[in-house]
Amino acid sequence: MILKIAFRNTFRQKRRTILTGLAMVVGFTLLSVTIGLSDGAYGNIIAMFTRNRIGHIQVHREGYLDKPSLYKTINNVPAVGEAIQSVAGVEAWTPRVYGAGLGSVGEKSTMVQIIGVDVARETEATRFDQKIVDGNTLAETPAHETVIGKGLAKILSATVGDEIVIVSQGADGSIANDVYKIVGIVESGDDATDRVGCYLHIEDAQELLVLAGRVHEIVVIVSNINRVDKITSAIETQLNDSTLDVAPWQEVAKSFYRAMQTDQQGDAIARLVIMLIVAIGVLNTVLMSVLERTREYGVLKAVGTKPAQICWLVICEVVIIALGSVCVGAILGVLANYLLSIYGITYPEEITFGGMTLKTLYAEVNIRCLAIPAITVMLSAAIVSLFPAIKAARIMPAEAMRTH
Amino acid sequence: MEQIQKTDVIVTEGVTKVYAADGIPVNALNGIDLTIQSGEFTALVGPSGSGKTTFLNIISGLDSPTDGKVWLAGKVLSEMSGNELSDFRRDNIGFIFQAYNLIPVLTVEENVEYIMLLAGVPKAERHARVIAMLEAVGLKGVANRVPTQLSGGQQQRVAIARAMVSEPAIILADEPTANLDSKTGADLLEMMRRLNEETGMTFIFSTHDPMVMEGARRLITLRDGRVDTDEAR
Repeated sequence: MILKIAFRNTFRQKRRTILTGLAMVVGFTLLSVTIGLSDGAYGNIIAMFTRNRIGHIQVHREGYLDKPSLYKTINNVPAVGEAIQSVAGVEAWTPRVYGAGLGSVGEKSTMVQIIGVDVARETEATRFDQKIVDGNTLAETPAHETVIGKGLAKILSATVGDEIVIVSQGADGSIANDVYKIVGIVESGDDATDRVGCYLHIEDAQELLVLAGRVHEIVVIVSNINRVDKITSAIETQLNDSTLDVAPWQEVAKSFYRAMQTDQQGDAIARLVIMLIVAIGVLNTVLMSVLERTREYGVLKAVGTKPAQICWLVICEVVIIALGSVCVGAILGVLANYLLSIYGITYPEEITFGGMTLKTLYAEVNIRCLAIPAITVMLSAAIVSLFPAIKAARIMPAEAMRTH
Repeated sequence: MEQIQKTDVIVTEGVTKVYAADGIPVNALNGIDLTIQSGEFTALVGPSGSGKTTFLNIISGLDSPTDGKVWLAGKVLSEMSGNELSDFRRDNIGFIFQAYNLIPVLTVEENVEYIMLLAGVPKAERHARVIAMLEAVGLKGVANRVPTQLSGGQQQRVAIARAMVSEPAIILADEPTANLDSKTGADLLEMMRRLNEETGMTFIFSTHDPMVMEGARRLITLRDGRVDTDEAR
């Protein structure tokens, strides 16, 4: 009966109910769109960052991530690769060799990072070929060719067709040096890498650095990024090698991941502010409603309704409006996010995050866009109604019935 | 006061009520000592401001006295918690207010049923009692209407039905005929008298209505918050 009274009470002051509900609907929709855009932006950045560069999971020799070294290598690459590929959810893997050296084109020299890649696997895993902005990608067989970063090309004033001399140190302690033909210029999306990156065929790099079949890193791409933790554990189990470290992207790019989380916390504060504004509006209307019905609460108490039941009645009224608002807000929120996921919002100027350039902000339609606003609206409605509810429950019947 | 007899349903001892009106204390009741026995049909009379409504509110636990004690069916009201008071009122007292005070969003049937619902009376029994009570007060045909669709007399009948449906020991009525025409008032008074005689319920009215005064078997006159006269008839 309390529920029935609460339900019918919500229809007594239709205009007020609509206004209260509208405030909640606007709050819900704003929250939903904020979350959708935020998740869309972060999802996009993470997808670009992982899929194009670091992969979803990386395998190294133990301790390599903390202190990279030319000598910390994975030795039996085909066996390790085969074990990785056998894990469910793994889409692709690609080995890499890293080394530091000095690159010279003509009279210009600069520090370079030698990145040895398996061209076919790298193309499959990180779409390496799509990042070539000038010239061609590397040949699938070793041909003393190189693709250099756009920034590096600028520093060295190098163009496609030039030759670059790389001087480094081999794993055997010898001086490593060789000449490579620049066949392409790459723009990976990471400016820092593009200023030093010098991509070689993995066998050319192994020959230069005297690594003979050994690699420093195996990058793994999974089919579902949300399952990365489970797949990481599965790979660890499958490899069963304590000398190898298997790390998800969050560990590989700790500072990037932390920056993302901090940014997301900033979004949470914005969401809190939205809900606070809505809650204050709702509190105001609920207080007015309780004040207007003081006499009725007095009557209910007089005839034997317990204070807790009066409290429940007020909370129910607000929660009923909140429920209706959540339903309407859910439709609007999903619709808005869906449209924004297709058309997006084009930035007036390109923005860069973690070295990645974004031109358009797309929303993501996911369960968070519904669940978080729904829980927030319902909870804040219940919390906001508590104070007026307690006020109504504490009414002295005789005093309340004297009010008009 | 330890020897309260079984038939003493309401006992007050030195009940005082002081209101602060704009910071100035106003004595609404000045030490009222009264005993009301079960089955009485009592009218509280007196000029406006004599303390009739305040006294009814205090003996039902709707208000608390500034001083003094109230025993209701053997229990001291001031010693009861908010929940105990609610339960006690629900189970022992039926109210009839001058302004009817029905729950506007409930139908006539639901208004009458409400207290039994709170008391946990089974559905079938609730329904049967509501039907019987609405028939007794002559409102069977308007069971599905809401209070705003009823006349004043009909609303007061609903209030009476609501007050009596759970068969409380005491009915407290604050000026029950004040908003009714004389014929409706007379009908209601007759109905209450009949119920008093048939069921033995205790009725206490506050009233200005000479007709109600005429029908009362005990007439207590209050003046300036004190019992001025108390006559059995």
